[in-house]
Amino acid sequence: MTDARTNSAEYLRMYRQMVRIRTFEDNANQLYLSAKMPGLTHMYSGEEAVAVGLCEALTDDDRITSTHRGHGHCVAKGAEFREMFCELLGKAEGYCRGKGGSMHIADQSHGNLGANAIVGGSMGIATGSALRAKLMGSDDVTVCFFGDGATAQGLWYEVMNMAALWRLPVIYACENNGYSEYTKTEEIAAGSITARAEAFGIEAHRVDGQDVLAVNALARDLVARARRGEGPFFVELETYRYHGHHVGDINREYYRSKEEERDWKENRDPILRFRGWLVSEGIATEDEIEAMGAEIAEDAAAAVAYAEAAAYPPAHEVDMHVFAD
Amino acid sequence: MREITLSRAVNEAIAEEMRRDPRVFLMGEDVAEAGTPFKVLSGLVEEFGPERVIDTPISEPGFVGLAVGAAMTGARPVVDLMFGDFLYLVMDQLCNQAAKQHYMSGGKLTVPMVLRTNLGATRRSAAQHSQSLQALVAHIPGLKVAMPSSAYEAKGLMKTAIRDENPVVIFEDKLMYQDKAPVPEEEYLIPFGQAKVTRPGRDITLIATSSMVQVAEAAAERLSGEGIQAEVIDPRTLVPLDEATLLESVKRTSRAIVIDEGHQSYGVTAEIASRLTEKAFYHLDAPVVRMGAMDVPVPFSPALEDLTVPAPEGVVEIARRLCAGELVHGA
Amino acid sequence: MAHDVTMPQLGMAQDAGKIVSWLKAPGDAVAAGEALFEVETDKAVMEVEAPAAGYLSAVAFGDGAEVPVGAVIARIVATAEEVEAAAPAPEAQGAPAPEAHGKSAPEAQGEPAPEAPGAGAAGGAAALPDGHPVTMPQLGMAQDAGVLVSWLKAPGDRVAAEDVLFEVETDKSTMEVEAGRAGWLAATLARAGEEVPVGEAVAILSEAEPAVPVARSVRDGAAPTAAATTKAPAAEATAKAPATAHSPQTAQPAPATESAAPVAPHARGGRILASPKARRLAAEEGLDLARLAEAGHPQPYHVADLAVLRAMPTAPAAAGAPALPPRRLTASVATDGLAAFAAWAAAAEGLSSDAVLAGLVGASLGADDAVTVAVARMGAARGFTVPPGRALSAVAAADSDAPPALVVRDLRGTPLVAVAMGAEPAPVLTIMEAGMGAGAGGGLSITLECGAEALDADAAIGLLAAVAGRLDDPLRHLL
Repeated sequence: MTDARTNSAEYLRMYRQMVRIRTFEDNANQLYLSAKMPGLTHMYSGEEAVAVGLCEALTDDDRITSTHRGHGHCVAKGAEFREMFCELLGKAEGYCRGKGGSMHIADQSHGNLGANAIVGGSMGIATGSALRAKLMGSDDVTVCFFGDGATAQGLWYEVMNMAALWRLPVIYACENNGYSEYTKTEEIAAGSITARAEAFGIEAHRVDGQDVLAVNALARDLVARARRGEGPFFVELETYRYHGHHVGDINREYYRSKEEERDWKENRDPILRFRGWLVSEGIATEDEIEAMGAEIAEDAAAAVAYAEAAAYPPAHEVDMHVFAD
Repeated sequence: MREITLSRAVNEAIAEEMRRDPRVFLMGEDVAEAGTPFKVLSGLVEEFGPERVIDTPISEPGFVGLAVGAAMTGARPVVDLMFGDFLYLVMDQLCNQAAKQHYMSGGKLTVPMVLRTNLGATRRSAAQHSQSLQALVAHIPGLKVAMPSSAYEAKGLMKTAIRDENPVVIFEDKLMYQDKAPVPEEEYLIPFGQAKVTRPGRDITLIATSSMVQVAEAAAERLSGEGIQAEVIDPRTLVPLDEATLLESVKRTSRAIVIDEGHQSYGVTAEIASRLTEKAFYHLDAPVVRMGAMDVPVPFSPALEDLTVPAPEGVVEIARRLCAGELVHGA
Repeated sequence: MAHDVTMPQLGMAQDAGKIVSWLKAPGDAVAAGEALFEVETDKAVMEVEAPAAGYLSAVAFGDGAEVPVGAVIARIVATAEEVEAAAPAPEAQGAPAPEAHGKSAPEAQGEPAPEAPGAGAAGGAAALPDGHPVTMPQLGMAQDAGVLVSWLKAPGDRVAAEDVLFEVETDKSTMEVEAGRAGWLAATLARAGEEVPVGEAVAILSEAEPAVPVARSVRDGAAPTAAATTKAPAAEATAKAPATAHSPQTAQPAPATESAAPVAPHARGGRILASPKARRLAAEEGLDLARLAEAGHPQPYHVADLAVLRAMPTAPAAAGAPALPPRRLTASVATDGLAAFAAWAAAAEGLSSDAVLAGLVGASLGADDAVTVAVARMGAARGFTVPPGRALSAVAAADSDAPPALVVRDLRGTPLVAVAMGAEPAPVLTIMEAGMGAGAGGGLSITLECGAEALDADAAIGLLAAVAGRLDDPLRHLL
């Protein structure tokens, strides 16, 4: 950490954002299991340091594209619990007026261009956003989040090629949680993932995705360089998803052992690790951290209660927003 | 009035809009120095530079995806898809991404992009360079679809498309690029959803799209020699569709043939015919007949290919029988 | 703070889960995340964890219970004192929870097994009685089945050859089918309203009285049921016909009686083909497209055809098909051979002149069976039975009031020279003297009048020509 970064407020903000993501997901999980939430959802728990480390390096003018496992990106980019829970429950006050739901949540006000239910589907959008920034002389940067599974999509290679040709300010952030849906990534990915980006002449990095400080330090560097026209970049973030592919993926021992899950949760949890560091560095006390957690839990409970009581969109909205005026 | 080619009209429209709005840019395969294989875009890179007239790799899903992202974040891309047949390559970007962003975001995101591509058989290009796939995209809510039938329409519709806040797919008939038509020097726009009655008539309505308007006009000319006055209507945009003009005409003439170069089954002709039947049923004195391309992949041999698309003779024959009260397809 | 433990939603289309087994007992202390019980869904068995630390309380469902998603199964309470003595579901462990009954009960309990088809009633009637089959006749050119309108005899009835067994409706008409032989109606193999393919057996006639008459349907061929012991009168069977008509291929309800058979209002017997616009304009102007059809104007109708309809004279108020004009044909015979022949026959064979006339005319019908011919003369009529063949001596006075197939009106010796009386129930042949003087040997004039439906044109011409030939030279009849 440089001197300029010894800002306890920033660390606490990062910690708060990670806990907010975890708390949001715990509540979303309960809403789903108790059949109060329609559809299905994919939990981000365990990957918090990735979204927070990257998004804390961005401004509201910078854009991200998100994935089906997108609640974490959305929270990290600045979204509010209330509008998010409303969206998850299909309510009119949701970010997308209940038309997107968990897999399409978008928050334009904070630069979140939206989750995408097509694996790899947003790679073109992120690269196009970067193309727009370059064409229009804007210095914003776009971060394209996707999972290791999406590296199997051909679209990525098409857009990386163009991004490299035209030096676009885009950062491809591959959240490698080791599993491509219900399959170990090593079974579906040949060779090296970073080498794929390098083949296009793109500078590629690999980082511990459970270490928010490491992620954030790398992100700040790459974002700054991308703003100067040195992009694109590729980052592979080693991380872990605590839940199954989606909430209903319960019996998953055929592809992933409970021992492995326990090891990641007990020994590599990004929140526990960062909490220990904050306390040992004297940035926060245990009591302060407990109080922060309680406050966030209270916020989340209030937002859930609000969303549960909120109104569904009126029927006449069903054919609204097909076309823009 | 001066006459220019359809190709020139498209070029003028894009150039005018690029001059007017710095957010507009052009991208696609060989759009810059080559000006596309059809030379439609020649000269644009010289005026606007390679930053705004971008040659892309042969990566259709990739550059259409880029256009979606650029449009979502404030630019107004015009994407050139060299052949309409390549639509199949870009279906996810066009139909899952571009078409749905506005709706999925509850109206917060918009995708103001134009995808210009082409249609039309009888150029001896066989099954993968001859298709007319407008029905495919017209089926998807969120996409607008325009089908110019002359240089005049091509220019006016293109300018409107570039100014539209939604993804618009424009199909130009690749056999019509050198066809000339009167096009005013002064600026004009053609609003979407306004059909054009190209020839008035009282006995039967011929609804035709793109180059099929020429087929309908030729048929109408011959029919007039037999005392049958055919009205010809060009919807100009499939989405939105000017249903009111079509219905008004068909209620008046009581008969209609719908002509489009896409495959007949589940196609544009089927959609329009069924709307007429639903909404003008008690005014119909004959069944509404569809005339689309045959339901076969487009064959290469000229002897076969010419059989697959509607021609004036066929339209005349069907129109004559409908007006005589004969059974066309059984009772 | 107490926490509900609910049945989790685990699959996308799951609405209930089954508790496989409890891993904790009521009152047990539990930690957050500790497994409470195992749940089985359509896809998997999983452990459900405690949502919070505390004590397991208020367990409402036992092992084996199927619980709807979202239903509260138990509570986790903060202290041991708060543990409720449970509010368990009424049934013991292993029994399905009440919620489960809603869906599973009908399957679990099963509905009463339906009785085997024909059980009991069919009993010893599995086999059909021996006898002669009566089949569905082919009545039209393009007909492949007929609808059995009604039975006029019941199983077990004794029948004569000419007794009508049943009525059949085809696309054209309703007709009676006779037994064709004497015996007993041992089995009926179709019910009123059912459609029977041409050539298929409809009934079985036995030569001896059947021990167990059988009545069954076309559809339950494998399980014939014994005929009702009380034989239904034919009239009742007829009345039931429409109600029991259930053949899906029956185009129209069978008419209750032959006389009520509908007359097809349109030439092609079906709906009128017309464009939607023609129909709408016709309805607005009060025009009846059926009149175009009746006039034989070719379908389908378009707006242009309405001009024809408007120009047609207003139809008579009476409904129904306009009758075709009656047929009237006249033949003349140069010489009257009849008078001389009759005189010879009376002298030589003792035949009456009326019998001779009936025999000559009746033979002209060329029927395969005996026909009844009435000879009418100035108000008096006598019926004669004319058997097949040429033997005039076999012509006998008819012994019943059976309606004649043909009426001969003998107007010889009257001043009448022409008639146009219109159609009567049977074809009428009017014989008059031709020329001016009665008895002048100037020949005969013969006029045939009949309804268009009674004889078609060819038959009428053939009949009249045959009669004329025989009256011109009666000896030819005998040769």
